[in-house]
Amino acid sequence: MISSRRVRNTTFAALAAMASLSLVACGSDPGGTTAAPGSSGSGSTSANASGLTCPSGKLNAEGSTAQANAITEVIADYQSACNNASTIEYNPTGSGAGIKSFYNNLVDLAGSDSALKTVAVDGVVEADKAKERCGGNPAWNIPMVVGPIAFAYNVDGVDKLVLNAEVLAKIFNGTIKTWNDPAIAKLNSGVTLPGDPITVFFRSDESGTTENATKFLAAAGNGAWTKEPAKAWSGTGEGKNKSSGVAEAVSSTKNSISYMEWSYARDNKLAIAQLDSGSGATELTGDSVGKAVSEATVAGTGNDLALKLNYQPKDAGAYPALLTTYEIVCSKGLDADKTALVKDFLTFFSSPEEQQSLQDLGYAPLPTDLQTKVKTAVAAIS
Amino acid sequence: MATATAPNDLQGGDAPLSFRKPSGSRTVKNALATVYVTVATVLALIPLVWVLWTVVSKGIGLVLTSTWWLQSQRGITPRREGGGAYHAIVGTLEIGLVCALIAVPLGVLGAIFLVEYARGTKASRVVSFTVDILSGIPSIVAALFVYALVITILGFGRSAIAVSLALVLLMLPVVLRSTEEMLKLVPDSLREASYALGVPKWKTILFVVIPTAFGGISTGVMLGLARVMGETAPLLILVSYAVGINFSPTSSTMASLPTMINSSRDVAPGLPGYDRTWAAALTLIIIVMLLNLVARGIARATKLKEK
Repeated sequence: MISSRRVRNTTFAALAAMASLSLVACGSDPGGTTAAPGSSGSGSTSANASGLTCPSGKLNAEGSTAQANAITEVIADYQSACNNASTIEYNPTGSGAGIKSFYNNLVDLAGSDSALKTVAVDGVVEADKAKERCGGNPAWNIPMVVGPIAFAYNVDGVDKLVLNAEVLAKIFNGTIKTWNDPAIAKLNSGVTLPGDPITVFFRSDESGTTENATKFLAAAGNGAWTKEPAKAWSGTGEGKNKSSGVAEAVSSTKNSISYMEWSYARDNKLAIAQLDSGSGATELTGDSVGKAVSEATVAGTGNDLALKLNYQPKDAGAYPALLTTYEIVCSKGLDADKTALVKDFLTFFSSPEEQQSLQDLGYAPLPTDLQTKVKTAVAAIS
Repeated sequence: MATATAPNDLQGGDAPLSFRKPSGSRTVKNALATVYVTVATVLALIPLVWVLWTVVSKGIGLVLTSTWWLQSQRGITPRREGGGAYHAIVGTLEIGLVCALIAVPLGVLGAIFLVEYARGTKASRVVSFTVDILSGIPSIVAALFVYALVITILGFGRSAIAVSLALVLLMLPVVLRSTEEMLKLVPDSLREASYALGVPKWKTILFVVIPTAFGGISTGVMLGLARVMGETAPLLILVSYAVGINFSPTSSTMASLPTMINSSRDVAPGLPGYDRTWAAALTLIIIVMLLNLVARGIARATKLKEK
């Protein structure tokens, strides 16, 4: 009896082992050379022409959710352009988490919506920590895409809503509490606004989108936003995790409003407020973003490419609430093969063809003169 | 009771005892209890069936394709169709396997010590108490402990083995407890019979006690495994997520089904990536269910026969 039991034991073990082995044995990555339909087709052919070296290896990157939609597409395009020679992983955990993982040596590259801080925040100077991680070499902020911040709302029967930075600042700090507040009504004559209270959602995680949105409110809000712009939200409202979290919350909650990166508002089919910077309402479109980006200037010197945005553009048709997303990399100090891969990938990312293809996703390409500077900075990584 | 039924007996005449109708209040109580129990069962079943139906109906489309089981998500973005969960299935199985390789010997040997060598001693009470505390530890605490130890202090990067270590902390109490209970169920007469034949203690444990309790032990192991395979917090902190295939448990990020669900959860409804959330959830349910079936199969196959 014991022997028959043993036999059955072994049969079960063998079956289980076979099942798992057969599963492990024949899996693969999806075919690399078959270009996916849509945006990637043109990108992959032109990319080969732009002189990629396609080194092998693996990069781990982490950070901003605002650039997640852009960078995952770029990674997919890059890998297929290089016939899957290398692997790049990007985890959208938020700018704050990405920078922390970067200086804790967990990832090779961080995506962030704001440049590394050179002053102490909560006792940590990000730039110094990053320098330490790079073996004493400074880490560079390399701008890659510009993304508009959408102020998405969900109010029944209101298809077109005009706001300005001052009103937004007052909504977000809790001074304006209902949708039919005179300040909102003044900007929206002829629109019937409900008397319901406004539900504000904000990013509960440390977010570059929050920092850029509050920078815009502080710069253009006529003093209505008094708090220091930071990754942590300092206004009123209810916190939601990540860009997808706030987008989902606005889409499922009546009379709510929040700020998010444009592609999330588009993916969730949310209504987006038009902004009035003093010379009429401006809708958020690729054109209006492009006009605002062209007014941006490079603030840093050398290969420090921190971008200074103009939140009060002179052009009437320019959409003023923008954010720049950076890739944070070691200027020196990574292994040789990782450095080669970082350089090759960033070269691909900043190439005009790839930048152009990101427009379909709701991003704006870098201005041409900046693309050249990015190219120089990437080439200087060693 | 006897006094209450006596008058009924007189009135009922010669009606057989078993067919006598209970009193009105008892009938009402009985009916109420039946209704209550049935309603409770139905209420408990509603969320279960609802969840299963939602996951199956939304995920079955992708799960039935062969690419789902054979391809990774590399080069597939939330906006693109295609790819599968192969990378995540490999990761989940590998993390579970490494975890089991560490937790099962520790748990089984610990239980043997408690039951066979230290039964009734102070040491056994202390160990039992500690294991009880360990089984109450939330997964996030286990994850942060391993993060502090392996990543902050020892300076290793993210790896699947770090997750396995954190999951060991969660699986160990389950395995140890269930093995202990199973070993306690083995009748002492079996052990005594073995000793009477002159068999040493270690041989008695190895060839009499363990085979007798084998079905129960393997069930405990499988249940422990099923419990840790659905964990998400340690995976998020210790290994993150990766869209490509990574077989190495010691280096870099690795995918797993819970983190795959978590990452595609961010995708807006309507994009191709959204459907993969449901398919990944269904895949996880299928794998955990298979594990439970295997555990039952082992338990049935190794059940001691009476003759």
